[in-house]
Amino acid sequence: MSDKKLFRYSEENKERFLDSANIKFDDGTEVTPEEIWHYLTVEGPAKYPNSFEINLYQGNRGTRDETLISSLKAQYLSLTLSERMEKAKDKGKTIAFIQGGQAVDPYTAADTIALRPALINSWYAGKTHGETIYQRNLRTRGIKERAYNDMSFEACQTGGYEQIQAGDLRVDIVAPYSVLRCSDVSYGLEAHRHGPNKDVKLFLADFPMRHQADKKWAIEYFAKNLRRLTKALDEITGKETTEEDLRESIKLHNKGRRLAVELADLWWSADVPPTNGGDRGSLVTLGNLEAHGDAQATLSVLEEARKEIEERVKNGVRGHGVAENPKRLFVLGSCVGLNNYRSEESGAIVVGTDNMWSHLTTIVDEEGDPYYNLAKATLEYPYEQSIEKRALWTVEQIKRSRAEGVIFIHNWGCNTQAAVSRAIVDVIKRETGLPTFISERELGGLQHEQEQNRVNAFIEMV
Amino acid sequence: MAIKTLDIIRRRVEERPEELKKERANGKKVLGWIGYHIPEEVAYSLGFIPIRISVGGDSKLVEVGARYASSKTCVFLREIVGAFAENTDPYIQETDVLAFDATCLQNFRAAEVIEYFFKRDVVVLGVPRNVYWEEAIEYFTQEAKEFTRLLEERAGVSVDKKKLAEAVDLFNKIRAALKEIYQYQASKGNVISWLEVYDLIQAGYVLDKQEYLQLLQQTLAELKEQQSYIDIEQEAGEARIFISGSVIPRGDRKLINIITSLGGRIVGDDIWTGIIPYLDLNIKEISPEGIALGYLNRTPHGALPYLELKTDKRLKKLHGLLDEYKAQGVIYHTLRYCDPYTFKAKETKDVLAQSGIPLLEIHTEYAGSDYEAIRTRVEAFVEMIRNQTIESEEEVSA
Repeated sequence: MSDKKLFRYSEENKERFLDSANIKFDDGTEVTPEEIWHYLTVEGPAKYPNSFEINLYQGNRGTRDETLISSLKAQYLSLTLSERMEKAKDKGKTIAFIQGGQAVDPYTAADTIALRPALINSWYAGKTHGETIYQRNLRTRGIKERAYNDMSFEACQTGGYEQIQAGDLRVDIVAPYSVLRCSDVSYGLEAHRHGPNKDVKLFLADFPMRHQADKKWAIEYFAKNLRRLTKALDEITGKETTEEDLRESIKLHNKGRRLAVELADLWWSADVPPTNGGDRGSLVTLGNLEAHGDAQATLSVLEEARKEIEERVKNGVRGHGVAENPKRLFVLGSCVGLNNYRSEESGAIVVGTDNMWSHLTTIVDEEGDPYYNLAKATLEYPYEQSIEKRALWTVEQIKRSRAEGVIFIHNWGCNTQAAVSRAIVDVIKRETGLPTFISERELGGLQHEQEQNRVNAFIEMV
Repeated sequence: MAIKTLDIIRRRVEERPEELKKERANGKKVLGWIGYHIPEEVAYSLGFIPIRISVGGDSKLVEVGARYASSKTCVFLREIVGAFAENTDPYIQETDVLAFDATCLQNFRAAEVIEYFFKRDVVVLGVPRNVYWEEAIEYFTQEAKEFTRLLEERAGVSVDKKKLAEAVDLFNKIRAALKEIYQYQASKGNVISWLEVYDLIQAGYVLDKQEYLQLLQQTLAELKEQQSYIDIEQEAGEARIFISGSVIPRGDRKLINIITSLGGRIVGDDIWTGIIPYLDLNIKEISPEGIALGYLNRTPHGALPYLELKTDKRLKKLHGLLDEYKAQGVIYHTLRYCDPYTFKAKETKDVLAQSGIPLLEIHTEYAGSDYEAIRTRVEAFVEMIRNQTIESEEEVSA
């Protein structure tokens, strides 16, 4: 058990918090603000002291803004992910491990919870209680090292491999997309075939490349991949996913995507940033509805977040920890980000990213063949297009967000993002004239100080 | 006795860049290609001179390439990008159109980077990952048609079935000759080494195809004269090594030279720049897509995932080749950031261990700084294999 001193959310905000809405879950259950508050102030700190440690950079705290109710609720969903997944498995729910930056419409349609690497890690990490930040980091880095040994030390991130193979996580299927965004997805998936967990099913949705959205045959091929995907999921759930199920799922996810875009537009419309960069990022990405392993719960927090941001923009509220006239940064590249707290401390704020935002902005047609529509939309993700096309889309986002500096971050071993980093940044520089910077980082690595020094130097220059 | 034709081939390779210049001056177009699934026959039938772009072993070019494609790109492709940046390689200089395939994602990225920075005319053949699915075959068929259309546009002519059939016949004869020559190098009393055959294979990347076939047939005739039999068996004191893993292009002979200098005898390979692309290529239909499907149905490249270990064609082929060439150990060569093969190293080692075949992984790049470290490891491996042979011979005689 941790003997570190822990912080506690201020009672000052409690009354307002208790007046907010319940969170509704996929299985029809609800949790009240009272129960959430109790969890955030009593149960959570006991189970996960690492998320409540008092240290210079607030440890693993999901949000630093205690008055942003939706963000506190998102924090609640994060903290309870592990126990919710365990309960879901006890009730026979199917869980898929996914990668590829895709929207999860087909998984939802097939009554399957889709979890990305970060969520798999959280599920696994959350099974152990009472750890300090140090203890948790040490344990999770140990897992990563073992996975490096089993796959390759040049893997970008080990994608939940060890947690699924040796960590006793009840994942039913590993079913990613082989998109160009990540060089390791296919190989990481294939690596599961020789691990100790032989029961886990494997499936690859094969993402075509090179002007893929302009080729009817490529869209049709990917649509067939999606049909195979839902069939593979059906074999586990024992249900039959109909076209209507997928259509309904697309409608649900479109709702999330539209809300996220509305929220982002509101945020960008404000003269002063209404939240800090971390909260902006976590609230916008709620639009994928997969961020917490429960689409309905995520949607209900997102709806609340949208209202809260609208209110803040109307009242000119400045986000917690945001400097006066902060330098606005747009971050692109691999599925990693900046240390928001430290960047804000240096007088900057992250106002946008391309990862995730790319498919949040892609609304799927709701009429006609849902598989074809979803395939077409997926192949149209701006992030997956050719250098020039992707860069020009990014330029639009940079302009919408009024960014003053651009950072392309690629993760260690992320070959396919690193490979185009200079070319993409080259186009952005040409089109916007903004200062740009390419940075490499390692997920969970030990060189964060060096990385931040470079980022801070860039912020200073901007 | 040496095979004299090999000297002729070396000379012809040296003369080839000048010839290409003249051919281009006379209106011929050169198609430079990089990949595993590019159907050369189609390009050839359209009147292109197909040249496989293959550079390696130059750490300076790797550094140059990193400026454009980052230091996280595999060493081979970084050097390719660097070579386009420097533009001093004669084959790169003489290339009119570039063809890449999307077998390896990094190969695809290199195509994009070269297209963007060096304004080269690039054509890409899409390759499915789930190659065993009927839907994937349909997709690939369409990609092959599109690829052909793009080449036709650049050639200014359409595919002629008769010319295509002639091209297939020519390339089939080349493949057959190479396969036959390859058997000689692995035999007892061999007069041609694996490295000589390897260089011979890579000479075919640039030479005129008609002339190349004639030179291969001449080589075969010499071989038959000097080595009247093919008897692939282990000999006393031998350390028969099989090379697997990442590409080893022309210019990169570091690992090969280390192995041979330490007395290891290389008897086979399954690498992308070795014999594997020429094996099991069965073209059932004379059409661009029929040829492309023939390419797709060979032993899959490591970049194409296969999700069931027991029925993996690549591993099955590896076992078959090890058996055929009586190899006693595998040196598994992985280049820095070559994910298709580094991810498979441990698995391949575990799988081969079940058959009692040792595997040594050598993870390297083109810098010479690891030369001694590799030498020490290879030396121990060769010694271990040789000792095993001696021990098993002693057991038999006891």
